[in-house]
Amino acid sequence: MKNSSLINGSRTIVYSLILGLYLFLTPVLAYNGSNFLKLNLQTHQVSGTVTDSNGPLPGVTVTIKGTNTAVITDFDGKYQIAASPSATLVYSFMGYKTVSMPINALKTIDIVLQEDATTLQEVRINAGYYSVKESERTSSIARITAKDIEKQPVTNVLAAMQGRMAGVSITQNTGVSGGSFDIQIRGQNSLRADGNKPLYIIDGVPYASEALGSDLTGTVLPGGISPLNSINPGDIESIEVLKDADATAIYGSRGANGVVLVTTKKGKEGKTKFTTNVSTGFGKVTRLMDLMNTPQYLQMRKEAFVNDGIPYGYSDYDVNGTWDQKRYTDWQKTFIGGTAEFTDLQSSVSGGSSQTQFIINGNFHKETTVFPGDSNYKKGNIHSQLSHESENKKFRLTFSMGYTAQENNQPGIDITQQAILLPPNAPALYDAQGNLNWENSTWNNPLANLNGKYISRTNDLLVNSLLSYNILPHLIAETSIGFTDTRFDDSRTQPSTLYDPAYEVGSEYSSIYVNTTNRKSWIIEPQISWTKEFGKGKTEVLLGSTFQQQKTLQLVQEANGFSSNSLLYNLSSAFNVYDLLHEESVYKYQAFFGRVNFSWANQYILNFTARRDGSSRFGAQKQFSTFGAIGSAWLFSNANFIKYNLPFLSFGKLRASYGTTGNDQIGDYQFLDTYGSSGNNYGGVVGLEPTRLFNPNFGWETNKKLEFALETGFIQDRIFLTAGWYNNQSSNQLVGIPLPATTGFNSLQANLDATVQNRGIELTLRTINFQKQSFNWISSFNLTISRNKLLSFPNLKGSTYENQFVIGQPLNIKKVYHYTGIDPATGIYQFEDFNNDGVLTAAEDKRSIRDLNPKYFGGFQNTITYKNWQLDFLFQGVKQLNYSGSYTTGIPGTMTNQPATVVDRWQNSGDSALYQQYTTGVNGEAVSAFYNFYSSDAMIVDASYIRLKNLSLSYTVPQQWLKGINCRFVFQGQNLLTITSYRGADPESRFSSSLPPLKVFTTGIQLTF
Amino acid sequence: MKQISFFRFIQQGKSGIVTNRLLIPFLAFSLLLNSCDNFVDVDLPTSQLTASAVFQDKATANAAMVSIYAKMRDTGILSGNVSGLSNELGNYADELDYYGGISGTTRNFYNNSILASNTEIFSWWSSSYSQIYAANAIIEGVSASSILAKVDKDQLTGEALFVRSLLTFYLLNLYGDVPYITTTNYQLNKVAHRMPSSELYSHIISDLQLSASLLSDNYISSDRVRPNKSVAMALLARVYLYNSSWAEAADTASYLINNTGVYPWENNLEAIFLKESSTTIWQFMPRTDGQNTQEGETFIFTSGPPPTVALSDQLLNDFEIGDQRKIHWVKTITDGSDSWSHVNKYRQKSNTLGAMEYSVVFRLAEQYLIRGEARAQQGDLIGAKEDLNKIRNTAGLANTTALSKSDILTALLQERKVELFTEMGHRFFDLKRTNQLDAALTVVKPGWNTTDRLFPLPESEISLNPNLNPQNNGY
Repeated sequence: MKNSSLINGSRTIVYSLILGLYLFLTPVLAYNGSNFLKLNLQTHQVSGTVTDSNGPLPGVTVTIKGTNTAVITDFDGKYQIAASPSATLVYSFMGYKTVSMPINALKTIDIVLQEDATTLQEVRINAGYYSVKESERTSSIARITAKDIEKQPVTNVLAAMQGRMAGVSITQNTGVSGGSFDIQIRGQNSLRADGNKPLYIIDGVPYASEALGSDLTGTVLPGGISPLNSINPGDIESIEVLKDADATAIYGSRGANGVVLVTTKKGKEGKTKFTTNVSTGFGKVTRLMDLMNTPQYLQMRKEAFVNDGIPYGYSDYDVNGTWDQKRYTDWQKTFIGGTAEFTDLQSSVSGGSSQTQFIINGNFHKETTVFPGDSNYKKGNIHSQLSHESENKKFRLTFSMGYTAQENNQPGIDITQQAILLPPNAPALYDAQGNLNWENSTWNNPLANLNGKYISRTNDLLVNSLLSYNILPHLIAETSIGFTDTRFDDSRTQPSTLYDPAYEVGSEYSSIYVNTTNRKSWIIEPQISWTKEFGKGKTEVLLGSTFQQQKTLQLVQEANGFSSNSLLYNLSSAFNVYDLLHEESVYKYQAFFGRVNFSWANQYILNFTARRDGSSRFGAQKQFSTFGAIGSAWLFSNANFIKYNLPFLSFGKLRASYGTTGNDQIGDYQFLDTYGSSGNNYGGVVGLEPTRLFNPNFGWETNKKLEFALETGFIQDRIFLTAGWYNNQSSNQLVGIPLPATTGFNSLQANLDATVQNRGIELTLRTINFQKQSFNWISSFNLTISRNKLLSFPNLKGSTYENQFVIGQPLNIKKVYHYTGIDPATGIYQFEDFNNDGVLTAAEDKRSIRDLNPKYFGGFQNTITYKNWQLDFLFQGVKQLNYSGSYTTGIPGTMTNQPATVVDRWQNSGDSALYQQYTTGVNGEAVSAFYNFYSSDAMIVDASYIRLKNLSLSYTVPQQWLKGINCRFVFQGQNLLTITSYRGADPESRFSSSLPPLKVFTTGIQLTF
Repeated sequence: MKQISFFRFIQQGKSGIVTNRLLIPFLAFSLLLNSCDNFVDVDLPTSQLTASAVFQDKATANAAMVSIYAKMRDTGILSGNVSGLSNELGNYADELDYYGGISGTTRNFYNNSILASNTEIFSWWSSSYSQIYAANAIIEGVSASSILAKVDKDQLTGEALFVRSLLTFYLLNLYGDVPYITTTNYQLNKVAHRMPSSELYSHIISDLQLSASLLSDNYISSDRVRPNKSVAMALLARVYLYNSSWAEAADTASYLINNTGVYPWENNLEAIFLKESSTTIWQFMPRTDGQNTQEGETFIFTSGPPPTVALSDQLLNDFEIGDQRKIHWVKTITDGSDSWSHVNKYRQKSNTLGAMEYSVVFRLAEQYLIRGEARAQQGDLIGAKEDLNKIRNTAGLANTTALSKSDILTALLQERKVELFTEMGHRFFDLKRTNQLDAALTVVKPGWNTTDRLFPLPESEISLNPNLNPQNNGY
């Protein structure tokens, strides 16, 4: 049975590929124009153009009132219809106000349609296996569309979501191109830091979010490499984020951390349309740290020697006269102050007939970096989609394919940290001959680091096809088939040229780390759905099943000892080659799911979803589990007593949902009793070691989600407010249960009866401030206030988690010393000795708790259109704590530069100051006080910020100037302005030694014809 | 399979109007729904083996065994890096002076200020028990194997028993009474009790006797990097000595000393730590071809002041005049005004074309010193002096002038100090077992306390397994 289902699946893939290819070759353009209804012999011909503030509006339905006769405007917004001279024409288009216009025997009727924000309630929202009308939604789903995405000069979709969705917290890990983002949907559910990723689904195909690289190669990209780089934001039609149980329970064991649904663009019926977007721009680091200049720095150093009562040492080159003490270089400016150049080109062709539509979109993107040198990131991408419907409208097929190639060339390591630490009077980078200056071996020239290279290449294929057939009028059977293939390799070199030539190390010391990852997956999801209306009631039923397999192969190698540095990429010329990791893992997944939805009188809605899941990540007894949810909504604005008594209330809905989801992000094979390679060579034999203490009996993490929300619209929805409250509890936590080392291991993988709670309020307010013919202003505001809390953790005391977690506190806390100030007599930092035993010990005295989760975050977005101009801007803000800028800079007084604020130090008895006395590192008391300071609450400071995340200004050239061509000029900016009291480099960065995010400006032109 | 019956119901109910054309997708659909539960069963990954499969093949069983040696070499107590006993106990006792950074665990050892939360204390403990787990897994796996030949079973079981004994012996001498772990069952091991030292010694002795009986006289590998019977005997001799079983200690040491065919004496001091040395009984093979010892990397410095540690003045002053070991095994570095010395037994700090030195764990000189001490304790003073003089003469020193039993024992202890310095904590353990720690260290180590003779059990271990209470005195 197993085989037959697989064969069926692969056959279907083959058939759909053949079919897709065939249809692709069909001269689809020949169908063009078939959408014009054949004219009947009626008495009166009316024609005209439908436009909006931006120009002609294709696709508008023009209906003769009271009949079924309708036409659709063509690409130039033109229409022609035959009707009785006394009839009335109705112009309707999604997102625009419907206009009725009596013909009154006119021959030409031109209509200007106005955008109508109030019809948003009619939009169908993608909920994954089904879609639902916005007004009838029982679940919590946040959404952005191409309109929001295309205004942002970003390469990763997660960047485009930042600040625009309530309950979705996104943090950029680094400003280096190709770097990753952290995303948390309604907080951290799992105790395992790596078990909190949402499920990503692109056009119905799950997309593995596990980082692709290896720690050994991708050093320059902290937090791993985001696989989502492979999606071109320009290809995306919409992104839906499923948050509550009602939306996520149908994803069962993978829904606990939320689901991100990405839907790509589809071709639209109409004349073949060509669109080209070209933009170029530049990027700079958002913020630099305010560091000491040379006089401040040298004064600090000299004072440190005086304080310590020791003379300058041989290697104190900065102060002992070896280096020029008049020199000053702003090293941040030198190393990370450069300008990155951005080039982006997108082209698409789309169109089709009423039966067949297509789109092909190509994209090329290149960006350089702010580092010195010629690092760059390139991405090329093709996306195509084809839809077909049979003449009797019973059979439908959608086929889409995306292919992305990326190449990322970066320095082997991020030199941001060195830019901060290097003494400001350090020597020149180049000597008179233009070679790297090593100043008689008195320093390590940081530019030498750029000789180490990081190179990654990613090739990604994503194919998806959906076949559906209307078996009976209300019964549809469909099958979704998907395939992904990701080929990723990266390498990091450490050539001998990293080192001072005086050491005379040759290429025999050069080394390279190479990582190769191949990941393939396929999925087949047969489904059947049934819809029936009876009287005031409506029922929708969906049943389906999932078969999925993912195979990952990873090889990590190290090679060293080359006869020449030019052979570094040729492992066969290395003296030693080691395979550090060679692993193949298979993940299989199977499920049955269903949904039943009842609605009554357009007022009461009940939605049941359930899924029975099996995953290969669990032992034989624990593979299967069932999840489910119930969602309900009451559209009270449709109740008569509300309609009559509260006419200003245009929309009102109360909804509630409760259900369970799970989490299987535990890695593959964890339940097996196995031996794996230890990577240790002994006598030519590579060792095998017991992989783990095995436990075949662990199961899912379960997450129970509860939500209540109120959605209200006032004055034809010109003011629309959504307020939600949620309470999620994750239990059955899958963690390593701490064991004494006498067992041979420190932990056993098992379900721990610990419970984590995420509770919060999400507010979204959308207002239409102006809605005039030529001036429109729409604002939307979202705010999330959330609180994460560890409710219970059996035997926390005494476990290895004791220093990490506190019951009643969030998971993402730091337990630190409490800093009490500087002893005015000694000039040394003081800390609270909680247990009064006279010594500071980590176990007993780190009792000050700092929560690094955002307290609240949100965004404020505005869209203003005036005639042909459109202005969009988004402010994003986070209230949070983070490590202060001095976290990376070492002991004040040693040979590293410091933030300028460090000049406020203790000098003489009785001084009160921010920082203790300087020391060169020999004052033991001051040094240990510094390390305690380093792990005290003084290091964790307010890092709240408000950022002008995005600004986009566009001008559409009036249609009459360029006949047949729609031309738009666009200016876009990202991270333009940051308002914060934070003194480190960038308040968003979690990795303080990594490059801060960039601010990016681009200008571009968009042509459509 | 509720879905299936649901579809049957639909198919039957509607059969009148459902055409054949419609039935096909229906059937295909229900076929998919009906596929078996075992879809989600996965095969083993190609990069892993089940525990039982490992012991069905000699090659993989051997790979499991050598993995333990690789780990002993790279981590934990026997490792030659800064975390191993050679460095940490050298600092803790009077062999080394510490010049390194402010923080770092070695400073805590140097200052004799070890806390129960010390990371090294935990890492010695946990890496040893992790290696003991692997050894027990081999003993269990081998005994369950239906395929391995008896000769291979004996060899592997013998080695695993040796490894378990060796590690338990060190744990016992570092921490006092410790759990004796002989199974992989974590349910038992997580509540293990501390076993009294005397019982531990008798278990170690019987394990080693069994190990020696299972192991062959030949090395199964070149360069003496896999234990044979002699290696088990060498440890057994040491264990007898520590356990004051003098006659057995002397006899066992004689087993090695008399085996001059395999272990001929070496008079050239500079050859003793080369990898081909004839007096080496067991040594660790470095990780890569051309790599030399971690001891060399740790201790050798080329300019002053030393980056981490240098030999202490107490040790340097204890070499008699004319002791060739001070010339060949010590090297002095000067910056013009000051000078510092490092141990130079291993002379290679970095890679060479083809490794020259491996880390020696057991060597013949110790067996002479064991036998000398055991003979002296039994009153065989002539025999004792013979063994002592063997070592002294090789170092270019005249015969000992000690006459009485106690003078000879003192001379032997002194000889051990200058012969075995910075070798895996011999100095500390010798002072400890002869109850001379306080006398030797109180003068030179201001931070020394009598209770420092035992290290604390790791704090986290006691909290995870209260059966390990009480903590050692002084912590």
